[in-house]
Amino acid sequence: MLYVVLFFTFFSLFLYVLLGGADFGAGIVELFSSRENKELNKLTVYKVMGPVWEANHIWLIILIVILWIAFPAYFNIFIIYLHIPLTLVLLGITMRGVAFIFRHYDAVIDGTQVWYNRMFRISSLITPIFLGMSFGALVSGKIVVTDDYSNTTFAEIFMYPWFNTFTVLTGLFYAALCAFLASTLLIGETEGDIRKMYSRKSAIFTVVLVLVGGAVLFYGYWYDLVFIKEFLQNKISLIAIALSALFLIPLWFAIGKQNRIQTRIYAGLQILLVIFAAVHTHFPRLIITSTSEVNMLENTAPESVMYVLGISLIIGGGIILPGLFHLMKSFNMIRIPTRSGKHTAED
Amino acid sequence: MENLDYARLQMAFTLGFHIIFACIGMVMPFFMVVSHKKWLNTRKPIYLKLTKAWQRGVAIFFVTGAVSGTALSFELGMLWPEFMKHAGPVIGMPFSLEGAAFFVEAIALGFYLYGWKKLPETFHWITGIIVGISGVISGILVVSANAWMNSPTGFDVVNGAYVNIDPVKAFLNDAWFTQALHMTLAAFAATGFAVAGLHAIQILRNKRPDLHKAAFKIAIVFGAVAALLQPISGDISAKDVAQRQPVKLAAMEAHYETQKGAPLYIGGIVDAENKTVSNKLEIPKALSFLAFGDFDAEVKGLNDFPEEDLPPVPVVHYAFQTMVGIGSLLMLAALIYFISLKKKSWLNNKKYWWLFSILTPLGFVAVEAGWVVTEVGRQPWIVYNIMRTSDAVTPMPGLKFSFYLYVTVYAILAAMVTWLMHRQIKVLNNSIG
Repeated sequence: MLYVVLFFTFFSLFLYVLLGGADFGAGIVELFSSRENKELNKLTVYKVMGPVWEANHIWLIILIVILWIAFPAYFNIFIIYLHIPLTLVLLGITMRGVAFIFRHYDAVIDGTQVWYNRMFRISSLITPIFLGMSFGALVSGKIVVTDDYSNTTFAEIFMYPWFNTFTVLTGLFYAALCAFLASTLLIGETEGDIRKMYSRKSAIFTVVLVLVGGAVLFYGYWYDLVFIKEFLQNKISLIAIALSALFLIPLWFAIGKQNRIQTRIYAGLQILLVIFAAVHTHFPRLIITSTSEVNMLENTAPESVMYVLGISLIIGGGIILPGLFHLMKSFNMIRIPTRSGKHTAED
Repeated sequence: MENLDYARLQMAFTLGFHIIFACIGMVMPFFMVVSHKKWLNTRKPIYLKLTKAWQRGVAIFFVTGAVSGTALSFELGMLWPEFMKHAGPVIGMPFSLEGAAFFVEAIALGFYLYGWKKLPETFHWITGIIVGISGVISGILVVSANAWMNSPTGFDVVNGAYVNIDPVKAFLNDAWFTQALHMTLAAFAATGFAVAGLHAIQILRNKRPDLHKAAFKIAIVFGAVAALLQPISGDISAKDVAQRQPVKLAAMEAHYETQKGAPLYIGGIVDAENKTVSNKLEIPKALSFLAFGDFDAEVKGLNDFPEEDLPPVPVVHYAFQTMVGIGSLLMLAALIYFISLKKKSWLNNKKYWWLFSILTPLGFVAVEAGWVVTEVGRQPWIVYNIMRTSDAVTPMPGLKFSFYLYVTVYAILAAMVTWLMHRQIKVLNNSIG
């Protein structure tokens, strides 16, 4: 059962990075658009993401619930020492969620819309940055686990571990990844010159992603971060990264051709490979603190709990996944406004 | 105030906020699908208009409830890491099932909101029903996890570690049914009266009375039926609490002396230092009867419990009085509504609409008061008789800042949602047709 639970843990992580990421990215793409494109982007995102919007974010809740039930020791460290960035993530999620719904469900359209839009775009950028910083903090080996606060300061325990150059770089990396995913996904949902705009954005964000990813690796290597060192020595992880880099070539062509299906497959594969490479290096020791590494396979919940959780996840997955698939498929045919064309307002 | 106090305040504040949004998000879909069904049956445009207006309400409340719920799932760990470390595996089951139910709700809502004219009519309507049902199921599951804190079962404590965990037994703890029933009815009563009340205000203002009367009728039926059933559930809960958490019962009633044939206090000012209650109305032997079904049963008083195990009595007592008082008021209003079905002339009387207008916020006041009774009444325990709240709190100092942050953000959100609802109603009133 442990492996069923682990499967769902990583499956939820992957889907959250992919779907939640595309969702965050949509706001980032909007933020970095010209005024006119911002409005088009808003309509496009509403139609494409609207139906699956909430579902995209439930993967985070599933992930958190699995962590606290099955891996309490792991959850404990992450929740105590990353209190501040997680609070900021939560604020970001809250602001973003309500801004999205306010801007589409407010009965009156007037000047306030500007504020909803701003709130949505800015929190779309900030939230994944703090999420990425939290991920970075977990593997950067700077978290000090202690019961004794007499020799340390608040900043040493609750600030520096998540607020440093490496974590900022991982935060930016995750934000870039989100923007890359969103722009690539949206290529296939639009037509005409908007499609061209998204494919241009997708190309730009691919470059940004590769550059920031390179910076993360380079910085980690330069400053001797265990995670990066081991990552660069792990053959399978390196092969995965190399494959992901290789897929950049067909992805690039697919973006150029504005191909709907291929762009998605290659983008999804790349993210899968990147996550696989990162997890593979360190599994099962996923949290690296200043003194020890927390092993996901030790201190797990007892077998009886794992059994019930595993069964719940299989049943839940059996209900949810077909439903989710059907939902995505049902609304796939929705066509998005073209610049010249008309669009009907959705109720 | 200490860190612990701020952690408790923050939890209380965020939970109090979430409960309102979650209740509305859980109950309003039912109003929406009833109105939708009426539109499908009669094709009267007001029902379509109403369905769409309520649908916007559902979307806004669903999302606000969902994001505040996400925040809570993190906060449980962020504020109470010791609690989650031990209790997480034990009560994980209802939470994981809740995740699934919530997921179904989100998927169904996706279909519903975006399915107009795109999905077959009946299928579209059914997705609305699924939104409602899965919402209620998630509510029940979350409450069952809370019930475990009041009635911890399904594990043994050995040297501070929780062993021999039986998640199913923990999930189906002694309190889950009574608490879930009480909360679900409360959600329906509070939301029913609140929505009906908002429409009653519009009827009083003579804005689109046709539309608002139709809306009032749908909402009030749910609220009134729930309000009439609630005393039965309250009675079951009281007997259950008397058995499981005698100290909570004593605090609810501010009952200091152990006594056979104990009286029921109505109202009263609690003097916690001198352990007395003044200015109360006493109903002889009623507490013994309500708690144990026997007029002469012994009710253990607060004085017979260790001082360090007592909750803050005045808070619990006043909250309990508030809840019961409002509950009785809503029950009376429910009766008035059902009588008005026969006496149609009442509907033309302004006082009738005034009554329901005034009741608008009261159901939620009762819901909040009820949560104060449950949560504060359990103090100083986070897991009743097993773990103290003070042992569960995070070691991170400076929680006062996060408390202020949350208060600011949630206060702004509450104001914004209220303002949005105001705009929805304005647009609804000014719409043609």
